[in-house]
Amino acid sequence: MTVGQMELVCPAGAPATLRAAITARADAVYCGFQGETNARNFPGLNFSPAELADGVRFARDHGKKVLVAINTFAPAGRVDQWRKAADEAAACGADAIIAADLAVLDHVANNHKGLRLHLSVQAAAATPEAIGFYAEAFGVRRVVLPRVLSIQEIATLNRSINVETEAFVFGELCVMIEGRCFLSSYAAEKSPNLNGVCSPPEAVSYDQEAGSTAARLSGFTIDRYAPDQPTGYPTLCKGRFSAGGTTSYPVSLNAGGLIAGLKAAGVTALKIEGRQRGKGYVTEGVRTFRKAVDAIEAGGDAPEIDRILARMSEGGRRTTGAYKKTWR
Amino acid sequence: MARIALTLGPVFFHWPADRLANFYRRIADEAAIDRVHIGEVVCGKRMPFSDPVWPEIIERLERGGKEVVLSTLAAPATVRERKAVEELCSDGRLVEINDITALPTRFGQPFVAGPFVNVYNEASAQFLIRRGARTICPPVELSLAVTGTMARACPEVEFELFAFGRLPLALSGRCYHARLHGLHKDSCQFTCEENPDGLSVDTLDGQEFLAVNGVQTLSHQVQAFCPESADLLACGVTRLRLSPQTVDMVIVAQTYRALLDGAETPTGARFILSCLDLPGALAVGFPHGRPGCHVPDTI
Amino acid sequence: MVERTKAGELPAFIRVLFPTVAALPFGLLLTRSVRVLAARQPRLFERLAEHRSACFFVDPTDLAFAFTVVPDGERSLVRIVGKAETSTASVVIRGPLLMLLGLLDGTLDGDALFFHRVISVSGRTEAVVALRNAIEDAELRPADLLGLHGAVARFADAGILGGLSAARRLAASSDGDQAARMQ
Repeated sequence: MTVGQMELVCPAGAPATLRAAITARADAVYCGFQGETNARNFPGLNFSPAELADGVRFARDHGKKVLVAINTFAPAGRVDQWRKAADEAAACGADAIIAADLAVLDHVANNHKGLRLHLSVQAAAATPEAIGFYAEAFGVRRVVLPRVLSIQEIATLNRSINVETEAFVFGELCVMIEGRCFLSSYAAEKSPNLNGVCSPPEAVSYDQEAGSTAARLSGFTIDRYAPDQPTGYPTLCKGRFSAGGTTSYPVSLNAGGLIAGLKAAGVTALKIEGRQRGKGYVTEGVRTFRKAVDAIEAGGDAPEIDRILARMSEGGRRTTGAYKKTWR
Repeated sequence: MARIALTLGPVFFHWPADRLANFYRRIADEAAIDRVHIGEVVCGKRMPFSDPVWPEIIERLERGGKEVVLSTLAAPATVRERKAVEELCSDGRLVEINDITALPTRFGQPFVAGPFVNVYNEASAQFLIRRGARTICPPVELSLAVTGTMARACPEVEFELFAFGRLPLALSGRCYHARLHGLHKDSCQFTCEENPDGLSVDTLDGQEFLAVNGVQTLSHQVQAFCPESADLLACGVTRLRLSPQTVDMVIVAQTYRALLDGAETPTGARFILSCLDLPGALAVGFPHGRPGCHVPDTI
Repeated sequence: MVERTKAGELPAFIRVLFPTVAALPFGLLLTRSVRVLAARQPRLFERLAEHRSACFFVDPTDLAFAFTVVPDGERSLVRIVGKAETSTASVVIRGPLLMLLGLLDGTLDGDALFFHRVISVSGRTEAVVALRNAIEDAELRPADLLGLHGAVARFADAGILGGLSAARRLAASSDGDQAARMQ
């Protein structure tokens, strides 16, 4: 169980977003290098080593932390590129490296002994045995929890492990277990695990057809929208398909009202998803969650932040995800 | 020339106990398979149904000269599921781990790293080999070429490639079968049993796309990678995995054996497979570094 | 909701610009502005990587014309085109002018606008994503893109950004939403 203040961990897709998140009073930001070593490898996004060094200085000046995600899996023959990214993050003064690949974890544990290691959600470690293994083998200090656990399960888990936990509270919701999903590479070649990309933008098309817009990925229709209907990015697992007539809708994870529950469950850090999102999203998200966390820490109730954040949400809909078990 | 071995992967679907018993009886007696994985991988809730039949199945398979591997859950969560994984890992037979949860118990004893464990490179392979890995079947999305790079760097273990069957693409915390039937996962009534090859999921435009199997999502298409032995050996791959579907797996195994022994050409093998009663069209993308749904011209 | 804003804000905004625009054909003026920007902020264009050569068709739905932009650093090219001239475009972006401008300095969230169908995008999505991410990081003011300096620039920024706030307040109140409180 944590006794200290809960830490608010916020996304930074680029230097300006990092500054925006810190200015909006995030406790820590997480970011990645340009290229395939991080799980948000989108065109125009992410940091060069020089930009990361600047970002770390900026955060340090404000008394905040920078966590560097090197959380994809290196394909055979290219592991050195991932090791080099870890070395560069360490050289830039990163406060922690977020990793999932055994090769990257092993490298950091053996070569940067003073550097904190966080286990990425991509490692999908959800049991005391798995988390215990990563803690013992690599000295992992914090686990980013898979988004399939309920609050009760998180509380139970926290009682049987000796590492900090970090839980997603806002942003896009992966309905699949992350790090275990090959839907993207099945349809469009690029994968979250290997390329840091899910449903890659180059495979996306929005086709205006009679009376509706079809959002397609590599030619597969992922969703269809009436004019003026809110759309979503055609992420595979969030599409509408037909199987016995049922549909699922795009949703954003918004566990704002559950912050108190996560604190009681012993969660150390709250994470906002969205390194691909803009400064507007990050600033609003951080400010709102800052208010909520401060209120909780002061013994009060979380303000009605769900309603405030409604406009930021993809597709205009939110869910508390697996945190409330009925979602399953 | 070394011989490529054939492995029968675990059944992903919720087959009733008598179907499982009949299936493995034929495999034991008739199939040209060297190694057979048994056990539930997808959903711990199904285990009480199949648990009673495994001892007899194992005995029958071993009597038929097959090497039996006990596969473990890909996403154990509950206390009961974790305990099941631990118990299986204490067995003297070879065990397949499909989640890191199994690793502490299996530490130092031989195991198969299954396709649900993220082994994408030689360094993570070496890490697991030092802890007991003897066979590594990488994630299905990894190409033959990259698998080869890893295999050549780890000559001390066997590398296995997922060759045949609907591709296991994703696992979720939610059960799609339960949702489709308006049920909660905790009281799901095991409706996944109705679809022994998985339930087809089409796009809104009617394109065949995926198949759901409880908490698992598979490809609608059936992967049928039909390489020649020499190509596999050149990459250091020594095993092919065939994943059970309701189609006659004895014929599938026979076709692959003939292909690997040079008695059948890749085109001929693909033709034979395409004539079987498969739940979806044939595709071969991942082994060639293409999207998994890719259909080569030659099929 | 956006309609009311357009009616209220646009004429004032165009009056601010008119003296500058009159000196050069608008396309040439914008081309020069983008090239000046490229000289001042090369990193913005580096972030675009291979998408520098893409042709972005930008259609402010409340104006009578559209633009094509090839954001190739100091070789950038902006042309004023007709609303139907999309054949050479790699990407087509459509939306009310104020919303398009609001993307520039990050006061409006591109994803949120897009998901709510205020802005529509078609064509090479990866180029759009690259452009949006590059612009996000550049922290542009509207005047940067119009090549304005000094007092005129401040005036234009104030007018456009003021218009954006008004638009957002209107949008917020008409939705019965509390977003305006977030300002």
